[in-house]
Amino acid sequence: MYFRIIRNDLKKSKLISTTMLLFVSISAMLLSLAMILIVNLFGSINMMMTKAKTPHFMQMHDGSIDLERLSTFAEGIDYVEDFQVASFLNIDGSDMIFGENLLTDSAQDNGVTTQNSSFDYLLDLDENVIEVSDGEVYVPICYWKDGTIKLNDVAVIAGKSFVVAGFLRDSQMNSTLSSSKRFLVSQNDYASMQTNAGLEYLIEFRLNDISKLSAFEEAYTTAGLEANGPTITYPLIRILNAISDGMVIGILLLISVLTVIISLLCLRFTLLAKMEEDYREIGVMKAIGLSISDMKRIYLAKYVLITFLGCMLGFLLSMAEKGYVLENIRLYMGGSGIEELSILLGAIGILLIFVIMTLYVNHILSRFREISAVKAIRFELETQQTNAGKRFILSRFYTMPSCLFLAIKDILAKKKLYRTMFLVIIFATFVFVVPQNIYYTISQKSFISYMGIGDSDVRIDLQQVSEISKKALEIQKVIDKDPNISNYAVLTTKNFTVKLLDQTQKSIKVELGNHLIFPIQYQEGKAPESENEIALSVLNSDDLGVKLGDTMSLIVDNKEKSMQICGIYSDITNGGKTAKAAFSDDSAKTMWCVIVTKLIETSLIDNKVAELKEAFPYAKVTGMEAYIKDTFGQTRKAMKTAGIGSALIAVIIIFFITLLFMKMLVSKDQYSIALKKSIGFTNQDMIKEYFICSFLIAMFGIIAGILLSNTLGEELARQAISAFGASTFRFARNKVMTYLISPLIMLMAAMGASWLGTCKVSEIKIAERIKE
Amino acid sequence: MKKIIVAQNVIKTFEEEQEKNRVLNDVSLFIEEGEFVSVMGPSGSGKSTLLYALSGMDRVDEGQIYFGDMELSKMTEKELSRLRLTKMGFVFQQAAMLKNLNLLDNIILPSIHENKKNAKHILEKARSLMEQLGIGELINRDITKVSGGQLQRAGICRALLNHPQIIFGDEPTGALNSQSAEEIMNIFKIINEDGTTIMLVTHDAKVAARTKRVLYMQDGMIVAEQKLSKYNGKNLKERVSAVTNKLREIGI
Repeated sequence: MYFRIIRNDLKKSKLISTTMLLFVSISAMLLSLAMILIVNLFGSINMMMTKAKTPHFMQMHDGSIDLERLSTFAEGIDYVEDFQVASFLNIDGSDMIFGENLLTDSAQDNGVTTQNSSFDYLLDLDENVIEVSDGEVYVPICYWKDGTIKLNDVAVIAGKSFVVAGFLRDSQMNSTLSSSKRFLVSQNDYASMQTNAGLEYLIEFRLNDISKLSAFEEAYTTAGLEANGPTITYPLIRILNAISDGMVIGILLLISVLTVIISLLCLRFTLLAKMEEDYREIGVMKAIGLSISDMKRIYLAKYVLITFLGCMLGFLLSMAEKGYVLENIRLYMGGSGIEELSILLGAIGILLIFVIMTLYVNHILSRFREISAVKAIRFELETQQTNAGKRFILSRFYTMPSCLFLAIKDILAKKKLYRTMFLVIIFATFVFVVPQNIYYTISQKSFISYMGIGDSDVRIDLQQVSEISKKALEIQKVIDKDPNISNYAVLTTKNFTVKLLDQTQKSIKVELGNHLIFPIQYQEGKAPESENEIALSVLNSDDLGVKLGDTMSLIVDNKEKSMQICGIYSDITNGGKTAKAAFSDDSAKTMWCVIVTKLIETSLIDNKVAELKEAFPYAKVTGMEAYIKDTFGQTRKAMKTAGIGSALIAVIIIFFITLLFMKMLVSKDQYSIALKKSIGFTNQDMIKEYFICSFLIAMFGIIAGILLSNTLGEELARQAISAFGASTFRFARNKVMTYLISPLIMLMAAMGASWLGTCKVSEIKIAERIKE
Repeated sequence: MKKIIVAQNVIKTFEEEQEKNRVLNDVSLFIEEGEFVSVMGPSGSGKSTLLYALSGMDRVDEGQIYFGDMELSKMTEKELSRLRLTKMGFVFQQAAMLKNLNLLDNIILPSIHENKKNAKHILEKARSLMEQLGIGELINRDITKVSGGQLQRAGICRALLNHPQIIFGDEPTGALNSQSAEEIMNIFKIINEDGTTIMLVTHDAKVAARTKRVLYMQDGMIVAEQKLSKYNGKNLKERVSAVTNKLREIGI
């Protein structure tokens, strides 16, 4: 019998059932996808890092190297499992030709290396350790993804010919966020290419016990070993590998939670509306002695069925979609080996949604108790309309167009009803705007200033060249006179030893120069200005165990210099452990030097980059736009897809909720529609009235949604983006998009649905509704 | 006298569960300006349907209905709405009012909707009409807080406010006690004496007896017509018996 009742009921309420089904399946699909992504992402990262035997500690070093001393050091520590020194030959982009493409514009530090013998393997796409033959080159996967390099391309690297034999996954440097990219060639080829210029060492360690990593780091620094370059550790590599997809997962989770909330709101609304509609019947059932649980069961059965079908559909959709969302992870990191587990977890997530919704329906249905049988039969529906807006009367506001007056009056009278629609639109706006703002924020050039890089136009890097200071001076002389360069700063990085309060010593890299010209965003405090001020990156301050306002001693020119910590900032460059200070020093050796410039006109960037490249062939010149594109391009693309997807979902939600509401309103209001028609209102007048209602609700909902996105949404996004190491950032907003185009799209969806939902007004016959 | 409404050979069929039911079966009639007409008949005789057809609220299948020189079937929904708004007034059995408006707002709504410029004048007139009809003190009252008779008076105020040429009443006293019904009929009489045409649909002989001409309907057809003597406030009994005799005569 239940089946028959439910079937008839579903037939009668097709739109409501379809809408509910749609909302439930969207939320189930998103949650399932998020679960599948999380499990696979971490699974794939682990799998790749296990197969590649990623080093636990890696020190890049530029300069001479004392292998014997390093070996002795490694042997002296019992928890060091393995140790190796790999070399990496930096090659200028203009010296790397693939087919018809040059890597000149690449902001990455490209170079060649050979396969390692005992760990830190470069893997092929089948996750095997690559064995490369003479004349072959294996290319980092990101160049295949962006279409620069194709299989079997003929390559000329530093004047030597190769064939692209395949693509490689580099567990350390896969992410575009890590600035170096390793190309793999054979031992023989490498030996013939080797020169001292551009040679860099990767001093790598594997430990027996990763929990001893920080102890090891300390031991390494204390030993005063080779450290002319960034230090990268296992946890950081894992973060770099996870960031892009991690953000997508964050957004998926956010949207799925919101759609679950929206579905619950709709459930509540449709159920209450249905109960109101069936008020009399419920009374009768009560009167003839049906128990509350009997009645509840009938209602529950229908909604449980819809929820169940929605969850199943969502699960199937997520299965169909998972290939697409996993594509990036599979490509960059390979399979996770735990796909079944991920599907299981996705299913568990969906089960959770099912349970929550069923419990919620049950909770709402407890209202049955409140319906009195006698009241229900005798008085029909207890009018839910309130005396709201008693002062808002036509005799006072007669100048207002009567349709507008009636619309506002209706909203005031049916506050509870409209509140649901209002809330749903707020949440949908949130879904629409937040991912879009995140995308826009990370696409902004200024975003890098949250990550330790000042906002400039062109940067000139001097690394791995001799006489850096002298060359920097040379460049400075030229750009100082350049009328197209409006401002510049020379930032020199040197290694210093820090003496902490407990007398332990550590070495840190400090970037010296004027940090006020191209300021970065400080999480706390400000940029160093005076001689004795120093700003530390978050990772460094954590590592050194110091905080804002503390002092520490820096050994400069063999003397202790007391420095006060004036600022803490997020940084993703150079392994995240950096420091900035303003004092000048001639004693320590310059590790690298960056000259950042601002041009008078951004349109000049490309020409200036080319011009500077030619003038200073030993320097690496990069346009910042290109740098950002190369570094965040992948993340940006993923976020763009996520943004478009969530906008689409938001529009679908707004459309259906408005349609549902308008249909319900029209069917509830049949009597008053007929009445208004009888006293001379036209169909257009009435459609106008509904239009105004939904316009007002949609407009205020969208405004509130945007406000919420700008506050709460920003906070949530901050949490998500803090994965980048940028923990203090503000949304950059595309004002036209956020305040004009997006609201317009949502408003149009709402108005379109209103039109569809109310056009049946003309079919309501006065005689049928009013005649006794 | 000029005819305000003319109906010629009107046919209207309802289809219910595949069974055709001819509710108006070749009805022809006219109403002259200033007349006070009632249509009598048992439930299901088609009298309400006739009223809805004559006022353009319902379309007919065949035949013509003229309001003055306008033929209703040739008018659009919009034109019909306009016609109802400016030329017609309606009083229903259950005073049909919008729940979320107070009494005064319900009364002025159609007039203000039609003529915003005259809003002040409309308000004044509405207040004085309410005063005249004895509901002056209920201006800001919620419609759920007044009696059926008071609601019906408010309905009449609304119908009168636009200076309609004709007022249609569908069992206007049907839901009232006899005293309230009597008062409402007195109001109709005064309105009619002021020159407004009135057409009422009723199954109550007492109500029909207060009008000047009675049309009798049965099975969708007008089966008889009766002109009544002038009502002077005292001859109600005779008039009622005249109506009941006629009913008996035609077998209703």
